This record gives sequence, C-alpha cells and structure tokens, in this order.
Amino acid sequence: MLFFLDNLLLSFRCLGHAPTRVRGLLLLQLFFLTLVSLNVEAAVSSLSQSQNASLRVAAIDWTLVETLMSLGVVPVATAQIKDYQAWVVEPSLPEQVVDIGLRAQPNRELAASLNLDLILISPLYSAIEPTLSQIAPVQTLTTYNPEKDFWQNLVDTTRRVGELTNHSAEAEVVIEHHRSRIDQMKEKIAMDTPPLLVVQFIDDRHVRAYGKGSLYDMVIKQLGLQNAWKGETNMWGYTTVGIEELVTQGYLVIVDPVPMSAEGVFDDNRLWQALPAVRHDRVLSLPAVWSFGALPSAVRFADELYQALTEQHATEPGLRNL
Amino acid sequence: MISIHQRASPAYICLPLVIICVVITFNLLSHTLPGLSHGSFDFFVGLSAPEAKVMSTAVVQFSVLPRMTIALLVGAALGLAGVLMQQVLRNPIASPTTLGVASGAQLGLLLATLFAPGLLAFGSEWVALAGGAISLLIVLSLSWHRGLAPVAVVLAGLVVNLYIGALSTVLILFHQEEFRGLMIWAAGSLAQNSWSDTLHLLPRLVVAAIIAGLMVRPLGLLELDESGARSLGISVRKLRLLSLGLSVFITASAVSLVGIVGFVGLAAPVIVKLVGARTLAQRLLWAPVFGGLLLLTTDLFLLQYSAQLPSMVPTGAMTGLLGAPLLLWLIPRLSLKGTAPNTSKATLQLTSKPTSRMFLWLLVLLLVSSIVALFVTQSTGGWIFNGTGQWASIVNWRLPRVLAAAGAGVLLALAGTTIQRMTGNPMASPEVLGISSGTAIGLIVTIYFSSDVTVPLLVLAGSMSAVITLAVLILLNRRTGFQSERLLLTGIAITALFDPLRSIFLANGDPRIQQVIAWMSGSTYYVDFSTGLSALLLAVMVVALTPLVARWLDLLPLGRNVALGLGLSVDKVRLILLALVAILTAFATLIVGPLSFAGLLAPHVARMLGFSRALPHLVGSAMVGALLMISADWLGRQVLFPQEIPAGLVAALLGGAYFIWGLRRY
Repeated sequence: MLFFLDNLLLSFRCLGHAPTRVRGLLLLQLFFLTLVSLNVEAAVSSLSQSQNASLRVAAIDWTLVETLMSLGVVPVATAQIKDYQAWVVEPSLPEQVVDIGLRAQPNRELAASLNLDLILISPLYSAIEPTLSQIAPVQTLTTYNPEKDFWQNLVDTTRRVGELTNHSAEAEVVIEHHRSRIDQMKEKIAMDTPPLLVVQFIDDRHVRAYGKGSLYDMVIKQLGLQNAWKGETNMWGYTTVGIEELVTQGYLVIVDPVPMSAEGVFDDNRLWQALPAVRHDRVLSLPAVWSFGALPSAVRFADELYQALTEQHATEPGLRNL
Repeated sequence: MISIHQRASPAYICLPLVIICVVITFNLLSHTLPGLSHGSFDFFVGLSAPEAKVMSTAVVQFSVLPRMTIALLVGAALGLAGVLMQQVLRNPIASPTTLGVASGAQLGLLLATLFAPGLLAFGSEWVALAGGAISLLIVLSLSWHRGLAPVAVVLAGLVVNLYIGALSTVLILFHQEEFRGLMIWAAGSLAQNSWSDTLHLLPRLVVAAIIAGLMVRPLGLLELDESGARSLGISVRKLRLLSLGLSVFITASAVSLVGIVGFVGLAAPVIVKLVGARTLAQRLLWAPVFGGLLLLTTDLFLLQYSAQLPSMVPTGAMTGLLGAPLLLWLIPRLSLKGTAPNTSKATLQLTSKPTSRMFLWLLVLLLVSSIVALFVTQSTGGWIFNGTGQWASIVNWRLPRVLAAAGAGVLLALAGTTIQRMTGNPMASPEVLGISSGTAIGLIVTIYFSSDVTVPLLVLAGSMSAVITLAVLILLNRRTGFQSERLLLTGIAITALFDPLRSIFLANGDPRIQQVIAWMSGSTYYVDFSTGLSALLLAVMVVALTPLVARWLDLLPLGRNVALGLGLSVDKVRLILLALVAILTAFATLIVGPLSFAGLLAPHVARMLGFSRALPHLVGSAMVGALLMISADWLGRQVLFPQEIPAGLVAALLGGAYFIWGLRRY
C-alpha cells in the first residue's frame, strides 16, 4: 500500500508539481492524483474507442500482454493468469480475460472457441506457432534481441503491437509518454549517483544478478546511471551467484519478491552485514517488477528506482539532493 | 600376495586429493586475501578495519571456509550412508542415490514447500527423512520377492527415482516461477554464507559415525551368512533396520541442507574397497574420508573455473555427471551373485487360459475410451458430452492426440513386454534401458544450444540421440553376450546421466524451462494429424509383425541353456530384440516423452489378465498400453482444465500408483 502511495506521489512530481513530503497531506494528494491518472486513462481509452476496438486478441507471452494493456487493448485470453498477477503485477488484468492454461502449452480447444482474430507470441514459444496458426493468425514478436538496442526493441514491439491491433496512434502516445517519463527522471537524477547492483533473491544462498542484456540494466542506463554488475550473464542478462559476490561501492537494489527462505539473511547473516552496501546502509528494496517485461515494466522499474533513490538521498548526508 | 594387499591403502588415493585441495584452496584464498602470500593475514578483523579487508575476510570466514567444510561433511555423510547400505543389503551398487533415498527426501521437501510450509519450520530434515524412508521402503518391498538381489534392488530404485522425477516434473511445470530457488537447491549447490549448516550437520554426523562404529562387529558378521550371524546372538532384522535407518537419516540431513549430491555415496565406498579397504571397519573409516575429499575436490575445481562458465553448474549435479561413467566402468567388475533370472510362475505357466474373451473386453474398453476421449470434454461452461457441431475441434485437436497416444502406448507396451521377457526381469522397461533418457538428453542439449527450436529439429535430435544410446548399449554389452543384468545396469548408468543434466538446466532458471519440461514430460500436444496417424499405423504394423519374434520370447525366459538347447542362437536373438526395443522406444519417446510408465505397466497388467504366452502377451499388453495412454491423455486434458497435464506424466502417475497398490501382491 505504501508503495502504491509513493508511486502516486512520484507521478505527481513527474507532472511538474513541487514535491512536498508531508505524510499528513498524503491522503489529499492521493485523491487529487487519482483524478489526474483517471483523466489520462480516459484520454487513452477514448482514443481506442474511436478506432476499431472489436479485434479479439490473445497473447501467450506476458510481455505482450502488458504491452497490449498499455495500449488500452484488453486481450481476450492469456496464459497462467494467476502467475501473471504474482510476477508481472501491473498492469492488472480485468476479470473477463480467459485463462488458457500453460504458456508452453495453451489449451487450443479453449482458444479456438474464443473466436480470436489474432494471437501474439514470443519466439520462446515458436514451437507452438504452427498449431496455433490453425486457430487464428499468429504473430511472433521478438522483444529480446541482443543485437539491437534494448529500448528500441521495446519501442518496436509496442509499435508493432499497435499496428497489429489498429492502435498505432495509442502506441505512439504510449511510447512518447514512457520516453518522457524516463527523460524527466533522468534529468532529476544526480549524475554522481553511485553504480547500482540489481538482484533478486532466489533463496537464502543464491541471488540473480542482472547485468548487460537485462531489462533492469537497460533502464539503469536509460536513466544515465551505471550498473555495478560487470560479470558474465546468460542470454537473458542475468546470472546466479552467491551473496559474497554482491560487493559494490554503490547501491544494492533488491527487487521483490524475496522468498520466505531468504528473509533470515537480512537479520543475522554476518556475510551479508559485511557487504559494503549493507554497512553503508545503501540497500534499496523495490516491489516486484517483471524482469522480462516491456515498456510499462521498464518505466515502472524506473519509477520505483527513482523513488527509492530519492528517499535514500533524503536520508543520506553528503550526497547532493535531487 | 597378501602383503601387497595390506600395503595398498586408501591413504594413497586420499593423499593426492588432499594435495590438490590444498593447492587450489591456497590459490583461491590468495586471490581473495592478498596479504596471505606474505604471511600477513589476520583472521579476526574488527568491523572498524578498512572496508576491503572486512569484506574479503568475511568472504573467507563465512563463505569459502564453511563451503569447504560442508563439502567435506556432506561427502563424508554420503560415504558413510553408502557403506552402511552396501553392507546391509550386501549390494555393491547400493547408495543413497541408486536406492531413491535422496530423491525421496527431495520430493518430501518439494511437497512440503508447496503445500505445508509449516512442516519445514518444524524441521526440514524430518520431512526429508520421511520422504527418504518412504521411498526406501517402496524400493525394498518392490525387490523383496527377489530376495533383495542387488540388481533387483537397484532396478526398483531406478523405477522409484523415475516416478519421483515424474511427480516433481508436474510440480515444476505448474509452479515454474516459485521453484526458482528449489531448483538450485535440488541440483546440489554447496554455496554457503554462514556456519549454520555446518553446525547443523556436524553433530548429526558425529553421532551417526559413533553408532556406526559401535555396530562394526555385528555388521561385519552379516558378511557371513545370516544363519551364522543369528547363531552368534544377533537380531539380524533389528540390525538391518537400525543401520538402514541410520543411513537414511544421514542422507536426509545432508539432502535437506544442500540438495542432491549425486554418486558420492556410491563411489566412495566402492573406490576405497577397490584400493584396499577390505574390512568393514576400514571402509567405515576411509569411505567418509574419501567421500569428503572427493566432493571437496570437485567443488574446488568448480569454484576455480565457475567464473568462466556462463551458467551455474551446481556441485551435486557435477558429481552426478562424473558418477555415471564410473558406474559404467564398475559394471563389468561387479560380481553379481545369486541373481539368476527367477522365472516367475506366470512365465512357466504355458497352458494359457482362454483369453479370447479377455481380448474382447479389452477391445470394448479401447473403443469406449476412444469415444470418451473424442467426444467428452470440459469447457469454460462445464462438461460437454456431445460432439455435435464440434467436428472441427474434434478432428483438429482431439483425434491426432488420441491416435498418437494409442500409437505410443502400443509401441512402449511392445518394447516393455519384449524387454521383460528377454531379461526375465519384471522391473525391466524401456525407460530402464536408458533409451528414453538418452533421447531426452539429446532434446535438452538441442533446446539449450539453439535459439530457435522447431519440431522437426527436435525430432531429428531425439532420434539421433536414441541411436547413439543404442550404440553405447550394444558396444558395452557385446562382449558379455547381452546378459540381462549387465544390460539393465548399463541402462541405469545412462539414465543416471540424465538427472544431473536436467538439474543443471533447471537450476539456471532459463525461461525456456517450461518448453523443455513440457517436452520432457511427454505431451501429445505437438502432434498433428499425419504424425498421429503414422504413429498408430507404425504401431499396428509392429503388432502385425509380432508373430515373428513370439517364439524367441517364449524360449528366452526359460534361461540361456534351455534356449540354446532348443536351437536358439541366444546372443544374436538378444541383439536383434534389443535393436527392436530401442527403435520402438525412440519413436514412442518422441511422442510421449521419456517418463511414461506404459512400457513397465502394460506387460504387468496383461500378465495379470492371464496372457502368459508370448504372442497373446504381446498383443494383450499392446492393447493395455493403448488403453492406458488414451486414458492418460484424456485425463491430462481434463483434470486441471484449462491447463493440460502431459499424457506421459499422467501415465507415469497412474503407473506409479499401480505399483504402490500392487506391492501387496509381492
């Protein structure tokens, strides 16, 4: 809940108003902000209604689902909705979206009964492309292509999804909106912010460190910051390491969810306490953001990160205020 | 002669390992602690010391040293457990992994994590202990009627391991993201960040070692025969129970901390025995020492070179990979006493009952199940019992799957019947020969190394690796004339390669996991109409050809000498049958994956229904196999609607349930 409030506070700030961090006024701001964000959404949805909105789309890949949602297109069906809600979280799916089972093996009979006009998949599921194309035209969208600029990949994906669903105008609005959010934040972030090491806890002994090729890394660089992880990474931009590898002079950024088994580490682990970031109180904790996401996830990660850094700077003397 | 033996001592192989460990450790530490090489290293550094120094000291103190200690302790624990198991069961290839104890413990923990996390707070090792003990009990009861003969026990262990593998695959398939951590643990990662694991395991290990030490004399008497031991006033049963319980407990303690560490428990006792630890007391001393050193050496090597690897290779999986070749090397050197095929009554019962009515019943059942599979389904609105107006969906989505499931079921059943009759071993199955696992290994490797996975590519890779596996089987068994025991052990060794590979892949949390698991768990999902039809046609064709091999399969169970006497050139016939089994299995594996139990189950059910002569047995089990797979495929599509459980997994779960139920009959 707190994160939600802080989030709104941040978007408030991004709209150009002067920040006032008085907790007592928070509720008032919340009310006001809700109105503002409702207006933005209303603008997008009125745009979509003006065009052909009757296209029935299903997306197997969550990255494409969040892209669709950001354009104001609610997919008719997607896979593993329960897991989507736990790992992607935002944008949340309305109830009428049909769950068609596993991502690797969506239920085709069910999909066929939904009168789909279009199915979107990622190359990860290319094995089911031939069989799905018997149901409706299938489009494979490559978001994770290490040879191209990552941000551009996300923009291209959004644009392509816009084209395919007759929402090109919205796509441009969304792309522009996300771009300006990033630019606004980049402008305000101190250039001398120390490097960031972004991790997700897997258990009490292992973490995933995100380096080159990951969504988090891309966002960090878009914000003009540095990624502290210089080690090898796999095709998806992360690697699995022990806690002892998390030595950085900058910030240690932990992205939720932290599994239950790992919670003990923060309290009484001597190795953890010896980490420079922990000793200097430079550990930032961020709510769950889908690590293989699209533009919305990228910007949400930027938001959360910016927010956490701002708070950190407020309490940390010696660093320039934002 | 004797003096040479006495001079040969396990110390000679332990010493080089110690030296290697010391060298690598020094190398590692001098990187972490630059002061070490000039002797200016102080171990206790206050938190006020310079930052870099605090960190590097903490890394050594709370990561490197505990990791090395836990490697020694886990290796020792598994070595000790292995010695006890091998001694009690008088079985040179018994070990926590081959008997399914480690994987049972693991499954217990997986289930507890998912469905009863409260139990874990109570003590994860007790959950692991329960799981390990249950699977050991199942293994022992499965091989009880064969007098716990080594190969029978290990084969039962493999079947239990495969079953547990199927169960955990279902869990992973549906909880991919939640299992990120568990997958690493499952693959046996020794990473440490405090001394708590060491402090946990050490006292348990010490107590276990003391108890084992107290039992040296009575356990040594077990090497004589049982009546001898009994006459000396030992309650053999209690002794066995106690030492098996002890070994399960040590295994469970180790597994609950660092996951499955493959094959140290098998290798340590065997190797120290080979290099001169002849008495039980010597083995009890040296196997833990050697086991600890073996694991530490492996771990240090991985630590040294892990930075160069883009993906994480957990130590436990690594020892598993090293263990499979060791097992292959060991097999020809084992003396397998008292395991002559114990031809069961049913095989010898040559006067077959009137089976035509049974055939009719099976045919009716097949028809009913096909109709149900084609016309009954769930939808968002509930059950639909009528297919009218849905012809498109029946022909497109259901018919290919029913055809493929039936075809694969028939092929596996025929392969299973052949291999069971050929080896005279009721626990033999195509899965056990390692051909399914070999095919799956090929698929995993292909998916890992290619970014664009297509169905034809997978089919190609799968068939290639099936052929390679068959070649390995033939090469390794040619000299011994395809003796059934050795054949099965070779299969076990090949299967043993599959598990660690799978673990490594899963531990890296690759987003392609679900794809791989879906493939491995054998779904008819990817089958189109022409594939399904050709699977069924192939199956029908093979059934039509069965009369050609029926005579061989009638004679082979009578034993090598009888068969030779009746004019059968046994070696050649075995080679032909083996190739046949391999081809059938490879085709079936490509359709329903490596884990289905159809090949194990169908021949049993067919025999229970009274088909005892080769020809009716083959045809009967083919029908049962088809029935099983069609029902499994249908159930898999309905149970968790709209999610689909792959048919191979459903068949494995049904088959496993049958075996546990069937235990009463043994």
